[in-house]
Amino acid sequence: MTKPVQTVAPALPGAPSALRIFGASKRFGDHLVLDGVDFDLAAGEVHALLGENGAGKSTLMNILSGIYTADAGRIEIEGAAVSIAGPSAAVALGIGMVHQHFKLVQPFTGRENLHLAAAGLPLVPRRAVVEEQIAAVVKRSALDVNLDVPVARLSVAEQQRIEILKALLLGARILVLDEPTAVLTDAEADRLLALVRDLAAQGHAIIFITHKLREVLAAGDRVSVLRRGRMVLASHAVEDVTRDDLSRAMIGDQETTQRRRSGSTPGPVLLEVTGLGVRDGGAAYVSDAGLSLRAGEIHGLAGVGGNGQRELAEAILGLRAATGQVALEGRDLTGLSVAARRRLGLRYVPADRSADALAPNVSLAENLAATLVRTGALGRRMVWPSRVRQHAAAMVQSYGIAGATGGGRRPVRLLSGGNAQKVVLARELDRDARLIIAHSPTRGLDVAACAYVHERLLEAVARGAGVLLISEDLEEVLALSDRISVISRGRIATTPDGRPDRAQIGELMLGHA
Amino acid sequence: MLETVTLERRQGAGAVRAALTYAGALALGLALSLAVLVAAGVPTGALFNELVVQVFLSPAGLARTVTMATPMMLGALAAALCLRLKFWNIGIEGQLWLGAICATAVALYDIGGPLRLPLMMVAAMAGGALWILPSALLKMWLGVSEVIVTLLMSNIAFLLLQHLLFGPFRDPTFNFPTSPVFGEAEKLARFGWGDVNGGLVLALVAVALAALALGRLRYGYAARFVGDNPKAALALGFPAGRVLLLSILAGGAMAGLAGGVIVAGTEYRLTQAVGLNMTFNGIVIAALARNAPGWIPLVALFIAGLYVAGASLKVFYGVSEGIVLIAQGIILLVLVTAQFVTTYRVRLARGVVA
Repeated sequence: MTKPVQTVAPALPGAPSALRIFGASKRFGDHLVLDGVDFDLAAGEVHALLGENGAGKSTLMNILSGIYTADAGRIEIEGAAVSIAGPSAAVALGIGMVHQHFKLVQPFTGRENLHLAAAGLPLVPRRAVVEEQIAAVVKRSALDVNLDVPVARLSVAEQQRIEILKALLLGARILVLDEPTAVLTDAEADRLLALVRDLAAQGHAIIFITHKLREVLAAGDRVSVLRRGRMVLASHAVEDVTRDDLSRAMIGDQETTQRRRSGSTPGPVLLEVTGLGVRDGGAAYVSDAGLSLRAGEIHGLAGVGGNGQRELAEAILGLRAATGQVALEGRDLTGLSVAARRRLGLRYVPADRSADALAPNVSLAENLAATLVRTGALGRRMVWPSRVRQHAAAMVQSYGIAGATGGGRRPVRLLSGGNAQKVVLARELDRDARLIIAHSPTRGLDVAACAYVHERLLEAVARGAGVLLISEDLEEVLALSDRISVISRGRIATTPDGRPDRAQIGELMLGHA
Repeated sequence: MLETVTLERRQGAGAVRAALTYAGALALGLALSLAVLVAAGVPTGALFNELVVQVFLSPAGLARTVTMATPMMLGALAAALCLRLKFWNIGIEGQLWLGAICATAVALYDIGGPLRLPLMMVAAMAGGALWILPSALLKMWLGVSEVIVTLLMSNIAFLLLQHLLFGPFRDPTFNFPTSPVFGEAEKLARFGWGDVNGGLVLALVAVALAALALGRLRYGYAARFVGDNPKAALALGFPAGRVLLLSILAGGAMAGLAGGVIVAGTEYRLTQAVGLNMTFNGIVIAALARNAPGWIPLVALFIAGLYVAGASLKVFYGVSEGIVLIAQGIILLVLVTAQFVTTYRVRLARGVVA
């Protein structure tokens, strides 16, 4: 199943080792997030770290920055074995993290933020001394950014530079950049890459986490790939790997378990999305997205999380303002409310059940009956609790929802993840459902619950409904979908035949650039 | 490894356990307040008479308590209807004053002929709803904190009240800033039992309607969803904005009605003292009743009882206002604590903090 670990390329000849991790493992409950991971980093090197969501990158970096403790494994910094007891210990060891979400005090200026960070150092240094250090770091790193306006008024790229300055000010020799370009425009990203190369040339060791192949090729010296907690491609020189190697390593190359019903005859077009755009506060989440889906079909939309999936789903449902056109069974949905779209048979299984689908403190029975109450099917004005309970009892039985004691009077938050998802499915996959948008419908579920969700989605399709399956789990997409598209930076792409294979999906995910 | 303290919601608190907790807390609170009162010089023998007989058991005492509790029920509804949708109405007094002003205006300008009294009550509700409207719209459109806006709107309402009492509404035959006394057709009927009046009927009807709407109507169902998780409610197609606005306006109307009931039921004129402390009392009662309308009358009676007892302690034993407030505060504190421990459990955990 897993590719054999390939030979490790030597670090830059003669460069001293900055960091070595041997056999790091971390388990959360039953889930082995990191499984004996080795990693090495040389001074003056940019080491790119690739991997899908949930591959274990963040866990590895959290171990490095002292947020988690590894269950097993050893860490050496500059040749000496260390134990990283907490975030401050990591800082003392010269490890600097630049998180994806910046940790800056927005109303403070950049300078004030830097002073604040320096105040965390042992023996609070005097202001003048900190000023001197800031000046020295700015000069050395050639990071130019206005330090005297409130951070809130700076662009994301400028805030990021302040974060990097902060790490350098605290004496970081090992710099971890967690998906630093995810929030940047292409031009800003190029500037960041140049900066990263400069910092490496000054002797800093840099771990560069990214999803984008272009950046690996442009700025990386070596590259490693994590998949499902294992290092599947360890420390290869960037010149020696091809795009194909990387996408294969990221998403695996085993044969799909089985492609579903390749010979089924598709029904009439159910959903037609054309030129859909979603913008919010200047940022484009979805651009010129097109998609079509037929009755009796599952259309899988693969992609790394945060590439516009949620915004796309919410735009189709009518929760978000969007440009372009969405048509359901030939009927233009522009201007229709969520309730009106639902009346036409649109259903939504959101990625985050507790945040977007369920009212956690409301009873199980009332959560199950929510759509019926809204449409007035359980009474035009009055809602009779007995009818709500009756409906709930029927659903509990037909979906096998466990933990529904006392006629479903208990709040729904007390259910396990799998049972909570069954509540959502019971509500959304009713007889009148025409198009079901299912976003990561099996996230966080165990194997049995996953299988159950898949079975129910296939049943809905067999009844003639259509399913738009948005998922970060490629296995799920490959196993269930009749057609597959990939969303990347808010754009939807696919191959001409609508059935990209694993390698093609990998390339589409990496955005081709 | 860090040691952490976490709060965990109890998995469906048992009714017996909750009842025992509340009873124990109430006993503890009463014991502590009694100790304070005794230390302040109230004779031990008089305590039962003052705190129980004169407040709840003697007909005259109970009438005083019920009269005081009447507007409190409406004030508590004003808090609860909003709080159920996580809208903190800190301006109940402001809405109450507007209600009292509007009712008084109807009375003073002789509007409505034979329908004068009903019109006064409708005007009171309209005034309260109107006064909360800006806070609701600012919150919904611009995300401005309702805590600030409702609070400041109260200050504006008070200035308006003063302006009217020193100006157009002032009773020319009297030296104090009060309106003229209402005519007979502008007073709520009394039942020959102390000052208890038709306002009690209005308050109980309002409580019953609120309980019905929240428990049995589609509106109440939607309100539960919108209050608990507005994002999910929107995704399900519930008109979250309309439900929110309707609930807030209903809350404001209840506060306004409280003002109307006070001027037409007990004061018979508009004064500066109308509805003082109603924001605090309304929120406390709503919180103790867990925003359930059905519990509000009972809790309102209890809180009103504390005030009635406090008033007579002040008069007859020279106990200072501060002591009375301390005793009331102790009882409220233990009750709120009991509510907390029936909802959550405190847990010490050793482990890694994510």
